[in-house]
Amino acid sequence: MRAASVGTWRAAGVAVVALLLLPLVAGEFWAYQMSLLYLYAIAALGVGLCWGRAGFLPLGQGLFFGLSAYLSGLALIAFDQSAWLLLLLPLAALASGALALLIGTLVFRRRGESGPYFSMITLALALLAGQMANNWESVTGGFNGLKGIPGLPGLDSFIAAYYVAAVALVLACAAVVWLYRAPLGVLWAALAHNERRVVLFGFDTNRLKAVAFGVSGLLAGLGGALYAPQQGLVTPQLCGFVLSADLVIWAAVGGRGRLLGPVLGALLIGALTSALRDSFRFWEITIAIVFIVIVLAYPQGLIGVFAPLERRWRQGRRALAALAAPPRRQPGGALRLQLEDVELQVGEVRILDKLSLAIERAGVFCVIGPNGAGKTSTFNLLTGELRAQAGRVRFDGLAIERRPTHQIVALGVGRKLQIPSVFAHLSIADNLGVALWSGRTRASDLLRPRLRRWRTPLLAALQERYPFLAEAQRTAAELAHGERQILELALALLGEPRLLLLDEPCAGLSPQETAQVIDVIRWASQRSAATIVVIEHDMSLVRNLAEHVFVLHNGRLLAQGSVAEIQANPAVKAIYVGSEK
Amino acid sequence: MESVLVAQALNALFAVAVLALIALGLAVVFGLLGVLNLAHGELVMVGAYCAYVAQTHGWPFVAALPLAIAVCGVLGLVVERWLVRPLYHRPFDTLVVTWGLSLLLRKCAEALFGLGYQSINEPLGGTLDVLGATYPRYRLLLIAISIVVLGALLLWYGRSRTGTRIQAMVDNPDLARALGIRVGRFAAATFVAGTCLAGLAGVLIAPLVPVQPFMGLDHVLMSFFVLVVGGLGSTAGLLTGSAVIGGVNSVVSAVSDSTGGYFCVLVLAILFLWLRPSGIHARR
Repeated sequence: MRAASVGTWRAAGVAVVALLLLPLVAGEFWAYQMSLLYLYAIAALGVGLCWGRAGFLPLGQGLFFGLSAYLSGLALIAFDQSAWLLLLLPLAALASGALALLIGTLVFRRRGESGPYFSMITLALALLAGQMANNWESVTGGFNGLKGIPGLPGLDSFIAAYYVAAVALVLACAAVVWLYRAPLGVLWAALAHNERRVVLFGFDTNRLKAVAFGVSGLLAGLGGALYAPQQGLVTPQLCGFVLSADLVIWAAVGGRGRLLGPVLGALLIGALTSALRDSFRFWEITIAIVFIVIVLAYPQGLIGVFAPLERRWRQGRRALAALAAPPRRQPGGALRLQLEDVELQVGEVRILDKLSLAIERAGVFCVIGPNGAGKTSTFNLLTGELRAQAGRVRFDGLAIERRPTHQIVALGVGRKLQIPSVFAHLSIADNLGVALWSGRTRASDLLRPRLRRWRTPLLAALQERYPFLAEAQRTAAELAHGERQILELALALLGEPRLLLLDEPCAGLSPQETAQVIDVIRWASQRSAATIVVIEHDMSLVRNLAEHVFVLHNGRLLAQGSVAEIQANPAVKAIYVGSEK
Repeated sequence: MESVLVAQALNALFAVAVLALIALGLAVVFGLLGVLNLAHGELVMVGAYCAYVAQTHGWPFVAALPLAIAVCGVLGLVVERWLVRPLYHRPFDTLVVTWGLSLLLRKCAEALFGLGYQSINEPLGGTLDVLGATYPRYRLLLIAISIVVLGALLLWYGRSRTGTRIQAMVDNPDLARALGIRVGRFAAATFVAGTCLAGLAGVLIAPLVPVQPFMGLDHVLMSFFVLVVGGLGSTAGLLTGSAVIGGVNSVVSAVSDSTGGYFCVLVLAILFLWLRPSGIHARR
């Protein structure tokens, strides 16, 4: 990780000064307009966080804005000018955050659904909230809304309201910057592109997504809580569809992928809308078309225009000193693994047929077998991604079949997938970070940006062998295929797992690269006393690596033993006739 | 007493039939192409405005049907070509883009017709005696149309060569392409069929609902929940989903209010997401 450069601080300073001076320069009308837009911008930040970072699209953020606006309005009416408001208004924002966290937990609970289901449910919730606000007249004031809400005690003028909103916007941006710099932000970005891989590092991605949604609800809630005293009126339209839609448009047009994109979108489009809506009849149609074009062709949004400028600032950054990562939280040593009479069927296809095998010591084990023998499925079973219909899977005697993947992995399982699936859009440093945090962090650690400076002796040793791993700022997308395989292997090793599952680690590598990979696997096995299980087709490689070989055929264990024993085995010969090397 | 029961049964049947008719277009596009067209509700709205245009010009109600098919067909062609086709491998972006389209269509309707509610005269007035209950004739006609459209589509899809080719495309687009099936053209045709069905449904329900630019939102949500509950890719799923969602919505709305019905539908959809994510009739 690098410190913020002088350029970044200077830009932030200019922005804050501009915020402070605006009412003096532009006059009271624009100060009033902008103070409302600042609140919307805070809510748009949350949409950007969910959509641009964590990869799911909330279509009903108005619900959280409106809910806290109503709560705050009711509190202001009931406790006019009282000191209690200092407590109650933050609580109103928190209520929205808590509701979003709850909804996120419920919707994301079962399957890591980030697509249409989540978006449609949030849209439906916003419409429902709008209806409730309309119908529940005794509390919400019905269609005409909650009227005559007093301002904040002592901050009743336009200018004061302006500065309250400006300070809130700056604080919200600072909080989101913090989150994006913390491991949590890196994990959000990682899971948006490859959720399965993040789960295989032992993180509960459903919870991470629920937290992202909770934060976005809190941001919308903050905007809403300040909306009530600023505007003096809260209507059902706030909860419903219109504001929810505007927030999504602002985030997209401004640029959802960056912190300030949604803010830029909200301020710019919001200001243009209030200036043009009445004079230009087709303004809103234009905005809808711009939105579609941006989604189709220019996903960075308007803020993308500033990307070259930003790159120049980044050059001024200096790297921060490395910190030694703590050891894994789980005990070390090899993990004892037992499969007993496991049966696995997907649809009509029987994949595993009473498979039994056990690995009770450290070392390098190879699994071989013809295509369709059930090798990769066995790995998927071990990491809990497939569920056996019958039989037992035990780690250290503990039955794991009913546990979710991230919990199984947290017992000390590392996995390298067959197709390299590093996080292509993240930097090499962040890729390595995700692996380092695996098994070494508690939930609260994920909020500490200093974790991005973690190093381990193993990482140093790997970087010595493969210098490209130290080129922290390169993105993984720039790597060649061979380098990606090495990075993927490094990620699997860095968590220092007790059971390491490698699925064809040499697929697509040149002979030299293959030799290097074999070397690393041997080296890792000597260093760590872990159990390493390798799926491999190449018999020359198996001969080189394996202390013990399992042969799978049609979902059963056909034979096991040393390489020499396997090669002499007539049953194995029979299935490999003509393909022996 | 008996006549009340018959009337209630007809009401339920009517609710289910209309919901199935509205959800059909979405089911075709989502189930066969995997594209969730969030503008589906707005295409229903476009259909309803076609009925309004026909009425203001003094044309007979039936004239609105070809008008809606023409308008929604052209819209479907344009949308498939320029918005959906570039994104077939990015389903998430399709969702966002069709959401933008829904916004665009709504704003266009607002600019053309204003925000106000329009009402359409029923083309078929009067009532009919059904087993002692008097029931509006137009509603009975709608039930019949819904059954005929669904049945005809099902029969055609199962029996015709085109239907078989579409099934091949859905099952394995690459293999279908290798066999000489013009997958791109069939996908476009399927999408257009979906938008036309939406327009058709819009015309048919126009006399029964207030016609306004925001009317589509409810329809797309309810249609989506029908598919969540029923499962994708089968007529049985569409009917079961419509029965469950339409039934729950109308019963709870009758007992409490429309907000309660809405709330129950939502809870039901979330429960299905947990317990049966591929619906009652899973395709595989």
